[in-house]
Amino acid sequence: MTKVINHIKEIRLKRGITQIQMAEDLQITRQTITAIENNKYNPSLELALKLIQYLGVPIEELFYLEEDEV
Amino acid sequence: MKKRTEIIIYAVVVGSIIIGGLLGIYIIGSEDGTYNFELFLPIVIGALGGFMVFLFLSKWRQKRNGNVPEVDERTITLMKKYFSISLYIVLFGSGALLLVLFAMGVESIETGMLIVYMMIIYFFVGIGAFVTKQL
Repeated sequence: MTKVINHIKEIRLKRGITQIQMAEDLQITRQTITAIENNKYNPSLELALKLIQYLGVPIEELFYLEEDEV
Repeated sequence: MKKRTEIIIYAVVVGSIIIGGLLGIYIIGSEDGTYNFELFLPIVIGALGGFMVFLFLSKWRQKRNGNVPEVDERTITLMKKYFSISLYIVLFGSGALLLVLFAMGVESIETGMLIVYMMIIYFFVGIGAFVTKQL
């Protein structure tokens, strides 16, 4: 079983961006940001691309697959 | 959403409430023989008042949260899941209820009872949808 992990929270906090500000800029709800940051929700490809563009980082720096050891 | 579309939606909703109220006056009138048009004013005040409360709450919310949308892709996905699950619960739940009632010896259901049952279902599905939207 693989899981998508992201570094959005770390990058966002490093840049001093609040969740509300990010939600306004990307036109999504604050709850969605919380869910993505806590790896509870995988964003659509469209939103993932928007996040990459917004934070200005390469995709592999933002999202990566974590494989569970069986 | 475009401002024009938004205004059209609000006008249709408020207009439908007022038309519904007028239909109510007509139905009562056709039963009793007197059409009580004094009820028209409370209908209009109620519809517009409710709309004002909604408008005030949405403006207050916008002021508090900024220009954040109420619905996004995650909310839509959650709603889809919720409605697909609630469909099966209502479908099989109603079937099970009918079987239980039949086993208990109930052979006919009053239309009024069906209306009450539907109202309860709408109420719970509505509350559930509201909670799902907030998640």
